[in-house]
Amino acid sequence: MFFDFLIVGLSIGIVYGIVALGISLIYSGLDIVHFAHGEIFMLGAFIGLVLFNTVGLPYPVALIMAMIATAVIGVVIERVFYRRLTRSGGGYTVAGMGMIIVGFGMAIILQNIAFLAWGATSFGYDPIYGPPVDLGGISLPRSYLWIMVVAITLMTILNFFLKHTKLGLAVRAVAANKEIASLMGINVPVMISVIFGVACALGAAGGVLIGPINFVSVEMGYLMLIKAFSAAVIGGFGSLPGAILGGLIVGVAETFGAAYISGSHKDIYAFILLILVLMIRPSGIMGVIVKVKA
Amino acid sequence: MKRTLTAAIAASLFGAGLLASGAAMAGEIRIGVTLRMISENGEKQGEMIKDEFAAINAAGGINGNTIKLTLLNDECKSDKGVANANRLVYQEQVHLLIGSSCSSVTLPIVAVTAQAETPQIIPHSTSAAITQQNSEWVFRVPISSRFYKGVMAKYIGDKVGTKVAYVYVADEASRAETLGLVGLMRDMYGVEPLFLEQSQEKEIDFRANLLKIKDLNPDLIFIAGQAEAIARFLVQSYEVGIPDTVARAGSSAVSNAPAAILAGDAVKGVFFSAAYSDSDTRQIAQDFNKMVRERYGINSVDHDFSQAWDLLQIVKLALANADLKLTDDSLAADRTAIRDAIAGIENYEGLASGPISFCAAPTPQCRDGNRTPVLISYVKGGKDFEVEVLDRVTMPIDFGL
Repeated sequence: MFFDFLIVGLSIGIVYGIVALGISLIYSGLDIVHFAHGEIFMLGAFIGLVLFNTVGLPYPVALIMAMIATAVIGVVIERVFYRRLTRSGGGYTVAGMGMIIVGFGMAIILQNIAFLAWGATSFGYDPIYGPPVDLGGISLPRSYLWIMVVAITLMTILNFFLKHTKLGLAVRAVAANKEIASLMGINVPVMISVIFGVACALGAAGGVLIGPINFVSVEMGYLMLIKAFSAAVIGGFGSLPGAILGGLIVGVAETFGAAYISGSHKDIYAFILLILVLMIRPSGIMGVIVKVKA
Repeated sequence: MKRTLTAAIAASLFGAGLLASGAAMAGEIRIGVTLRMISENGEKQGEMIKDEFAAINAAGGINGNTIKLTLLNDECKSDKGVANANRLVYQEQVHLLIGSSCSSVTLPIVAVTAQAETPQIIPHSTSAAITQQNSEWVFRVPISSRFYKGVMAKYIGDKVGTKVAYVYVADEASRAETLGLVGLMRDMYGVEPLFLEQSQEKEIDFRANLLKIKDLNPDLIFIAGQAEAIARFLVQSYEVGIPDTVARAGSSAVSNAPAAILAGDAVKGVFFSAAYSDSDTRQIAQDFNKMVRERYGINSVDHDFSQAWDLLQIVKLALANADLKLTDDSLAADRTAIRDAIAGIENYEGLASGPISFCAAPTPQCRDGNRTPVLISYVKGGKDFEVEVLDRVTMPIDFGL
């Protein structure tokens, strides 16, 4: 049973981690906490649902297309709505309360757009998984395998993109110091759009991965946002490996909590953990020392 | 010529005056509805209610009085339901309030209608606690959870087994239905739950609980919650590898179409108690199914539709029997007259599996009008789901009190 619980915890945790990765990416690049990221996750799940159920694309293709479409939506949101605010903060950086309020506002706008498009009802992806795979006494649902494989692939691609491509280097330079990056000839606004697009694509991936087992509804973003936010804080806000680690910790902690303490208030374990980590190590497990950014 | 014209105008004015006085004699019965209209079925039920009252008005109304309908969506949210009820009762000054779908919404509305002394008739909510508030203004068309759980307990204990795992979502109806069933299994068969756990209403991942249940190897898993939560439980129960040899039963909400649509094949074999089955062979049921399919495009007609329909027929009967003045000063008297007319409904035979009767005392015995649940099992899931009737039992009026 222990390994069964561990697998369940890891499979949900890795989804938290992917969404948290987007939140951390935006934070590291733009110095803002994106409170509409839960709704980006929801939007991606809906786009994937339409592409898979209605258009009839194969699931992996629907996943990739949903990521691309959501990335485009993310870039448009950043350029049209957020850019003015981040600029006013000076060098595309923190614009204080304004950005937080705009994030909440954007969350409500996106939720209402989804409500108009799909209504308040829930939708399920057409069945795509068969019976569980038996691994020496541990039955491993195929959905978990999918989630693990896709998540690890996405993380590998992101790592390669950031560390081994020129565009990734430029993104990291902008994340480290926008003024110096600009002096080095990097087009900072474009890089910020790239960061936002990639973060939104990751949010969409989380939505499409979890859609087949948890259904899709306009209200699905809120709970995911707070779990992913906890994951990002526990892992260390702004740290990309930390976001994944935080997600896994949150997923495993809440599953073990539900398994061995009580399943009645499962959500509480993630937040107890969050408070403990903030008390013991405020910068999170893999958090970097706070520094002043340009 | 001039004289003829003057006479014609005078006659016209006199005629118009007569018509105007006739119009003033016919009144307007204001009916407010608050429902969960967030799924296709919910929206269509709202449409059906609108269409029925429009048809009444087109046919000249009830005793010459037309119906003014205000239809609101509470989305199964208590705060919205209470806001709707307050608007309907105080602003719209309705003579009768119909609502709501979810017990968690209906329960607080009972306090609103009791305070405002406005009759309330309930289309879908099942929690036994609703009529146990002893409000003299409340009537329930659907079957109370106290009757549902009785039928369910007997079937489980006699035909399935007594090793039962219970999981329920923390809303009032689900909690009441589950704990009631646990109590009955204890009283009737002397067994304690193999597993009993609640989950939060918005929880999305039930797999930790389901893994624990799998390890206990129960005869049956009883799942209580709103339709979406039950569907999620069912799908995830197969995800974690609980075989189909373990029976699955649901609370009354599993009868709602979204449960079967969302759960797909995972709903096959799940049984539940409900007020109506679209496999009912009676002519009235076949005609109703045909009407819903043709007019609203719903292939599988669930008991929320049939209950809304029965409620409308009961309201029509009551309004026809009520002595209504419908003047500006008669609101309180008209509300009382409608309440008394509903209380006078006896042995109404409609789509429900048994007769529906109300009476004057504000007790569950008088206000839980329908006592005949049917036990139903899904034989096919998805949008065109199919069910079969396993059993039909009329419960004693005092059962579960």
